[in-house]
Amino acid sequence: MRRPVRLLSIFRKTLREQSRDLWLLALSLVAAPFFVVLYWLLFVGGSTAYGVLVLNADRSAALADGTVFSAGAELVAGLEKVTYASGSPLLRVRRTSDLESAKATLANRDAALLLVLPEDFSRGILAFREATSRGDGAPVGGSAGPSGPLSAPTVTFIGDLTSAAYAVSSVLTLATLDEYLQAATGQTRPVELAEEPLGASGVRTEFETYVPGLLILSVTLLIFLAAMTVAREVETGAVRRLRVTPMTSFDLLAGISLNQVLVGVTAVLLTFGTAYLFGFRSQGPLWVAILVGAVTTLSVVGLGLVVAAFSRGVTDAFVIGNFPLIFLMFFSGAIYPLPRTALFTLGGHAVAIYDFIPATHAVVALNKVLTLGAGLGQVAYELIALVVLSAVYFAAGVWLFQRRHLRRS
Amino acid sequence: MTPNPPNSAETVLRAENLTKRYGDLLAVDRLSLEARGGEILGFLGPNGAGKTTAIGMMCGLLRPDAGETFVRGRPVRGGDPEALARVGLAPQSVILWPKLTCLEQLEFVGEMYGMPRPDARRRGRELLETVGLAEKANKLARTLSGGMQRRLNLVLALIHDPEIVILDEPEAGLDPQGRVLVRDYIRSLARERGKTVILTTHNMDEADRLADRVAIIDRGRLLTLDTPEELKHRVGEGDVLEIEVSDAPGGAPGPGGGAGHPVLRTLEELARARSGVGAAGATGAARAAAVSRVGHVITLRARDAVNLVAAALDALRSAGFRPGAVHLRETTLEDVFIAFTGRSLRE
Repeated sequence: MRRPVRLLSIFRKTLREQSRDLWLLALSLVAAPFFVVLYWLLFVGGSTAYGVLVLNADRSAALADGTVFSAGAELVAGLEKVTYASGSPLLRVRRTSDLESAKATLANRDAALLLVLPEDFSRGILAFREATSRGDGAPVGGSAGPSGPLSAPTVTFIGDLTSAAYAVSSVLTLATLDEYLQAATGQTRPVELAEEPLGASGVRTEFETYVPGLLILSVTLLIFLAAMTVAREVETGAVRRLRVTPMTSFDLLAGISLNQVLVGVTAVLLTFGTAYLFGFRSQGPLWVAILVGAVTTLSVVGLGLVVAAFSRGVTDAFVIGNFPLIFLMFFSGAIYPLPRTALFTLGGHAVAIYDFIPATHAVVALNKVLTLGAGLGQVAYELIALVVLSAVYFAAGVWLFQRRHLRRS
Repeated sequence: MTPNPPNSAETVLRAENLTKRYGDLLAVDRLSLEARGGEILGFLGPNGAGKTTAIGMMCGLLRPDAGETFVRGRPVRGGDPEALARVGLAPQSVILWPKLTCLEQLEFVGEMYGMPRPDARRRGRELLETVGLAEKANKLARTLSGGMQRRLNLVLALIHDPEIVILDEPEAGLDPQGRVLVRDYIRSLARERGKTVILTTHNMDEADRLADRVAIIDRGRLLTLDTPEELKHRVGEGDVLEIEVSDAPGGAPGPGGGAGHPVLRTLEELARARSGVGAAGATGAARAAAVSRVGHVITLRARDAVNLVAAALDALRSAGFRPGAVHLRETTLEDVFIAFTGRSLRE
């Protein structure tokens, strides 16, 4: 047989085999379109709106004609009007009055930036505007003014400097501020700017900012190992052999899971150890970060069991495992931010759809501990969420596996 | 585990009206049988007859649509741990953990049955010794030959010392030495250790040598259950004479069509005259004709058939056939099997 004929014969044979494994073929074909639709739904056809908290301490100033000048309020209104070309909001502006709770919101990644407008914001701008109109404009930093030396009000930007969302939202906010000030005073920037890093985010190297994400990656990839280990028992028929023993599905899956969690914790420790060797230092207690990694492992293994329940063998487990992997990687905020729409509030925490993905909580908790220096108490919510999700996914995995592979049908 | 040594008169496993349907296919149809303590029960049937489905229901692997299996009076259906622990299944396909050693596999399965690890280890060593794998105790299963893997597959069913051992094609894939070893071992399980062995096989010789009783199943239904001797007696006492023929006058008759050929009637009369075989002993499906023909082989069953050879050859020659090789043998379990289940392929 000539080569092209053999090649075509192999092509035809492979095509036949593939068409008879419709489940895997369908998964391979629909994966990307499915996530396109999902992303479109998440962004409601638009783009991310970056969360900006505004602590507006500005006390309005009275004008000569008796009207009130509220620069802070005008700036906030300006921020709310920042939109994409499509008209979708670019900044999701929320007002706050408590600095500490606002910082906690930043740490939880429910907002990217906290903008603090000082008490003298309006008065300062007004003074500069009047000085400009008199022609004795004063440079920023304060010098001569209508009633002595002008002191420029200080606008403060607070956020996690390692966060990409902070970078984007601070640039957009600054541009809006500059535009507003230019219009209001004719000055380029007649205010002082201060940037206050959240936790130790200001002193982190770029390398250090990547470590939490890599840690999540090392744990997330366990989904394959967990699913494939269980699926191998199905593929080889071992489950059939064990089905005639008094063993239960819980025995089987808990035993395998325990092993996978051990592997996961080892992976976490190795990742930390390697990072430490190359200069990475945790700002918070390292044991808390390790605990977060361990609990995350548990939840990822739970998801692996769900994957295994739908798998007839190792190949199935690998293909199906990509679906939750994409969720874990791209829908958790580990790679880049996603719009957060709260479904409900639980214990003061807004719960969005991504909060059902374990990695979402792991990203937040690890960032808090490693970058912001948080302790156990400050990541308690994330830890509890991870434990609950682990239990839910494990229970779902056991139930599904029991029904699909262990039930005496 | 065997708390009480079984008594050979006692029923240890009772299947009552087991029924299993897969869509339109009735795989097992109201199957009822009993296995007694210390007996070897052969479970025979063509491919697709429902044997594996039936034993799956007997050992708790499958849930019957109707009916129930009782082990020492305890129903298997609900996965009753005590009932399950009394049964050991060696599946037809070799199911091992390739990256565990022989001994580790036995320990593991023993622990699944609730055995303390030292006990499972000790018993595992004993079992490996009995099937000639003692030297491979610490070798990974994947490094064993096919025959060794089959023997390991067999003893995995015995680690918890079950009262009832269900073996699905235990000799498949074994070389002659392996077959002899396994056969002797199965025999010793029943004879020396009082186990009840339920054995499915396509090897009629194996069933004939081992089984105390034989159940024949086809299309999900139990056709007969009796000792091999009684079954052979029912199909036809005496010998089987097989004569290869060629060049029938007017061309060879079509398959099966020879039943009505005049020479076959002549031969049948000869056989009946000799011993009456096929008229008095056989009943029901087993009432096989004393003379039958498949392809170019004509088969006669008759007592003292050796004295029929010359007359039969003469009759064939007179009818224009050219007789070839002649074989004379005793009635076998295969004859019984064919008599009950027919010659048509099932799968």
